[in-house]
Amino acid sequence: MNLKERHKMKSFLITLIFTITAFAHTPIMSCMDEGDDTVTCEGGFSDGSSAGGVKFRVISNEKKVILDTKLNTESEVNFKKPEGEYSAVFDAGPQHEVYIKSKDIFE
Amino acid sequence: MKFKNLLCIGLLSSTLFAQSQLMYTPEMTLNTGKSINLVHVQMHPYTNLKTYDMGTQHKGDQRLEPEEFYVMHKTIKTDLKDTLKPIVFTGKNEAKSYTSKYKAKKMGDHLFVMKPAPSFSEVEGIYLQMITKMFVNVAGKPTDWDKELGLEAEIIPLSKPYGIWAGSSFSGMVKASGIPVPFAHIEVELLNYDIDMENNKTTNMKTNAPQQSFKVIEFKANERGEFTFHIPKEGLWSFNAKGIGHNKKFKGRELSQDAVIWVQSKNIKEIEKLNKEKKETK
Repeated sequence: MNLKERHKMKSFLITLIFTITAFAHTPIMSCMDEGDDTVTCEGGFSDGSSAGGVKFRVISNEKKVILDTKLNTESEVNFKKPEGEYSAVFDAGPQHEVYIKSKDIFE
Repeated sequence: MKFKNLLCIGLLSSTLFAQSQLMYTPEMTLNTGKSINLVHVQMHPYTNLKTYDMGTQHKGDQRLEPEEFYVMHKTIKTDLKDTLKPIVFTGKNEAKSYTSKYKAKKMGDHLFVMKPAPSFSEVEGIYLQMITKMFVNVAGKPTDWDKELGLEAEIIPLSKPYGIWAGSSFSGMVKASGIPVPFAHIEVELLNYDIDMENNKTTNMKTNAPQQSFKVIEFKANERGEFTFHIPKEGLWSFNAKGIGHNKKFKGRELSQDAVIWVQSKNIKEIEKLNKEKKETK
């Protein structure tokens, strides 16, 4: 196997590993109204792995970004409840986004 | 005539023996965190034949409060005994029971354990203590469903006790204080009535069994205390491993320490129908 072929094989293996990882972890999120005008959202993956540092957004129904941050080491974020309808977005990458609408967030 | 009476008493007694400890909340799988209500009732889940005062004692001794009620989440134990509120629950008759509220906020499994005080059964002439486990999962993250707690009487799930399609199965292992119970006698019952949590009563009977054997399904675990049961219908199912605890006496009388676990199954066709209805209304 020459250098070019070796490089191709390495790229293929990396892609394969990344694909398996991407498929094995389904992103999940839960949000709850704290009853004190704030909302806490927790992100995670279906295999139980942490979502600390993963991107998180709050967007209005008019697609305006109200909050753009990252989940903390506990995979959580607490934010002031926006006025009007909004969506919480756990953004674990392309095709790995979870949306929860404010009407589905309970105390 | 005497023989007929004896037979009737025999049949009635075997039905009366099949008690379980209900720990009810309508939904064991939540899409997102929320506050939930629970109701705790000593009853017959299938027949609703009789509802019992929890913690009732022999010959009118003072009724005892539950010994323990707690939840495990990510292996952290939180005492919930203070959340228990005495109520009168109406099944076939009225009985002293409890409700409680819980904030199922964090993602993952919330494993509830109710250890009621031993309750005297007039029919059997013994004390019953049904140590009960029930799960609520938030958002689908698996955390505690397979945890062994080392209870005096316990069924440890080998498959998830929720997220079960009707027609699929549930597997578990019967243990007493951490030791497997070979050939444990297990009774399975469908919760055959809706529970009206606003008025604390049973409503709408769901199925009508053709004969006693279908009301309380009995089988035995294998030599390692393991079992698998194929769940034929959607609903909440009680698995009760009878008399497995090592404590055999309470107040000088026979004690049966049972392990109860509740599992929930869903009908895939019903969910397809609901999704279709949702799409149509959008």
